[in-house]
Amino acid sequence: MDFKLTDEQIEIKRAAREFAEKEFTPELALEYDQKEEFPMELYRKAANLGFTSMRIPQEYDGQGYGVLEECLVVEEFCRVDPGLGVAVSLGNLMVPDVLLKHGTKEQKEKYIPPLARGEKIAAAAFTEPEHGSDITRLDTTAVKNGNGWIINGSKQFITNAPIADTFIILCQTDPNATPPHRGQSLFLAEKGMPGLEAAKLRGKMGIKPCVTGSLALSDLHVPETNLVGELNKGFYYALELFDGTRITVAAQAVGMAQGAFEKALAYAKTRKQFGQPIINFQGVSFKLAEMAIKIETARLLTYKAAWIYDHEKPSPVATSMAKAYASRIAMEVTDEAIQIFGGYGYLADYHVERFHRCAKITEIYEGTSEIQKLTIVNFLQR
Amino acid sequence: MAEIFVLAEHRQGQLRDITFEMLTKARELAEKTNADLTAVLLGKNVREHAKNLVEYAKRVLLVEDDKLEHFNSDAYQKVLSHIFKERKPILTVIGHTSYGVELAPRLAAALNVPLATDCIDLAFEGDALTVTRQMYGGKVNVKAVLRKAEGYMVTVRQAAFQVQKPPTPSNGEIEEIPSPLTEEITTKRFLQYVLPPPGGVDITAAEVLVGIGRGIKDQSNIPIVEELAKSIGGVLACSRPIVDKGWLPSDRQVGISGKTVKPKLYIALGISGAFQHVLGMKNSDLIIAVNKDPKAPIFSFSDYGIVEDLFKIVPPLRNKINELKAQKT
Amino acid sequence: MDIIVCVKHVPETAEAELKIDASGKTIEKTGLVFDINEWDDYALEEAVRIKEKFSGTVTAITVGPEDSDSTLRKCLARGADKAIRLTDLKFTNSDAYATAKILYSIIKNLHFDLILTGAQAGDDGSAVVGPVLAGLLGVPHATMVKKIEFGEGKAVVNRELEGGLEERLEVKLPAVFTVQTGINEPRYVSIMGIRKAMQKEIRVMGLADIGLNESEVGEAGSWLKIEKLYVPPVEKQAEFLQGSPDEIATKIIEILKSRGLV
Repeated sequence: MDFKLTDEQIEIKRAAREFAEKEFTPELALEYDQKEEFPMELYRKAANLGFTSMRIPQEYDGQGYGVLEECLVVEEFCRVDPGLGVAVSLGNLMVPDVLLKHGTKEQKEKYIPPLARGEKIAAAAFTEPEHGSDITRLDTTAVKNGNGWIINGSKQFITNAPIADTFIILCQTDPNATPPHRGQSLFLAEKGMPGLEAAKLRGKMGIKPCVTGSLALSDLHVPETNLVGELNKGFYYALELFDGTRITVAAQAVGMAQGAFEKALAYAKTRKQFGQPIINFQGVSFKLAEMAIKIETARLLTYKAAWIYDHEKPSPVATSMAKAYASRIAMEVTDEAIQIFGGYGYLADYHVERFHRCAKITEIYEGTSEIQKLTIVNFLQR
Repeated sequence: MAEIFVLAEHRQGQLRDITFEMLTKARELAEKTNADLTAVLLGKNVREHAKNLVEYAKRVLLVEDDKLEHFNSDAYQKVLSHIFKERKPILTVIGHTSYGVELAPRLAAALNVPLATDCIDLAFEGDALTVTRQMYGGKVNVKAVLRKAEGYMVTVRQAAFQVQKPPTPSNGEIEEIPSPLTEEITTKRFLQYVLPPPGGVDITAAEVLVGIGRGIKDQSNIPIVEELAKSIGGVLACSRPIVDKGWLPSDRQVGISGKTVKPKLYIALGISGAFQHVLGMKNSDLIIAVNKDPKAPIFSFSDYGIVEDLFKIVPPLRNKINELKAQKT
Repeated sequence: MDIIVCVKHVPETAEAELKIDASGKTIEKTGLVFDINEWDDYALEEAVRIKEKFSGTVTAITVGPEDSDSTLRKCLARGADKAIRLTDLKFTNSDAYATAKILYSIIKNLHFDLILTGAQAGDDGSAVVGPVLAGLLGVPHATMVKKIEFGEGKAVVNRELEGGLEERLEVKLPAVFTVQTGINEPRYVSIMGIRKAMQKEIRVMGLADIGLNESEVGEAGSWLKIEKLYVPPVEKQAEFLQGSPDEIATKIIEILKSRGLV
């Protein structure tokens, strides 16, 4: 048993921290939080340094590391700023992963390198207006038409939808399959194809620089070569993806908690009330100790899930535990951080309320905490 | 008789202030140790300087040579080594300036004379030399003692000592030493002075300066402080890191390697107060400093201090100034 | 062009609150983040840029404890090809002069066209190592360099003087230049760089490997011995304005009004 990161992992973490601390300034974070735009320039910069392609193999211009190394980068990014951190780490979300596992050689060579290099943005369109975390049912259909497929339907809450160049879209290809998810398939689509319209969703609670949108698909025609993997296997491919990405969501949560904690700790040391720094009061100091315990626990769960993913076969239960716990304590720790700041914590200028607003998403996306618990219960009942 | 040397520093026909600062401190040491104070002056056509220096020193050792027209540490080292071997001073004081930094370490090593650099105070305790210097960018002072030796060398910080003329001029003698330089120095040659590029703004003429330092964090924040400067009728200035990063042109830099300013109001935002900067602005009429670190040295040079993130202070301050201006019009 | 860069692993203290430790001779290091000395950071970047332009190698060398590996790894990740760490308990309390001697004892056996180092270190601020090293090696030097250009067997450098003035010097190569901040914009460490760095070895050498006497290093081999550290006395202290940002702004306005500045 060894709890130490390797020298290489320590260097990766430090490099990510240095980049984020210099680039994700509080003022920039506030600006993007207000204007709800994707920080494209920042993303390209991070991509050039390899931070956004940790898990993509080197032959496709990625870095060839595992989920743990990706988590270290995500954690440090989100520690400095949760909004910019999430946005920058999700620019090529899921598409490379699914193509690496199930794509053809041509698909991999065409789509992965530009995503790895940060030249293009990816979006994975699974969720629908009527079906949130439950993707076993879809209203979006793909119907065979000559040498291709015609896609109709709509997608909602799609990360990067308004800015993406490359999409994967989960569609019902066999309407008669029982259960229905056995009749779903994944298709590649590209920005600019007739019948593919993206709209930006505004007014999210947090992670505002990570733009989200909806897709309207009307008679979108994709060639047969855009089918990813086997027909009617799309649902399973999507689930596989979550095993990895959910761990990185846990890492987001750990980073957000850590960032808010550090701000609160620094504030508690300097803020004076009743003639002394407020950290001298047990009401504050014990709170900080509790926060530290929670963060460390969440971090261990997250690193362990990542380690299992990288070294053994993915463990959905370890992943779900990490995500459910880390996202829960991210809410608690960021909440307590605001409390320690008192009235100032409630102001955007003090940069802690943003951590709380952003943390909430980690309990929701990539499967809500309830979905994670279902996975855990399924395991326990076996 | 024991001698204390002060190396006169001059450039472009001017004796530099550091020379007189060093002479002031060295005189005090010379009196205590019963040593002669000797100024050492190297150059081409610098006899006029020598006449100036004899008011401060017991003697001036003058070496004139066309090859000494511009400062060149290799040439200086040859000449000084020659003089040292003859006279063996108990202490040699050199400025911790661009010239001194180029010259002193290599000279000391060659002569096998212990050296302490960037000293802000010096004292003989018996035949041991104790120096005060700073570490960690001025956050900590150090008292250190030099290894026992027949002679010592120090470089002293600019403006560490206040110039005082001797109560009665020393009326020293000028002793000319023939230059030992036989040939041109070819390892290192002076080519020319490079003047800072002419900028649009002369910060030395401004009555109000808003100075920014590391605390500004990012170039994209500069408009925030620029607006404040505008509303208060002032000009933006900065400390070294801002110019190093290319966020403001070098003509905005205040400090040793930049400009010396004396405005009616200097607002220091996110400037820690390293002496290199402070030397350039400490004589401003009114100094208000904003810094997150309550122990930042800048607060020792300011009239008013605010321990806070500058981004919390600047917006309300700017708004209030603008309100005030609106009322008046 | 083969370039040697001398670097130092120092605590970042610009924004940290420092405490003097119980011995009174050093600061408390726990809780401080160590990194490459800021001036050396620019020196390393300059070396890598020169290498990228003219080809050749960059070797990073440090004198320091095992922890200094993280600074060397950073150098390797940013483009250095080799790294050497000089570590020995006997090196403890070496001042800049002793450090220069230690560096000399290894560098004299290496091929180099150019040696770069920071104009000074952020901890002791001596500005001594570069020129002393040059003296020991018998090569020319220039300090506080803000620009380097190359000619046949020589370099033309700009040195920083005071008041915004610079001087241009022609220096024969090989030479030692100490680099002033702002000479370039140091790059970030990239993930690609880290991967490459991990495949490069850090050579570790001690006193026995470099042929120096015990008396030439550490306190015995130093010019300076630290007697005590203390917090600089406060000669004058600002009057601190307290309150919310809004209240403070109002107070500032009152001060400015009373002085007729607004």
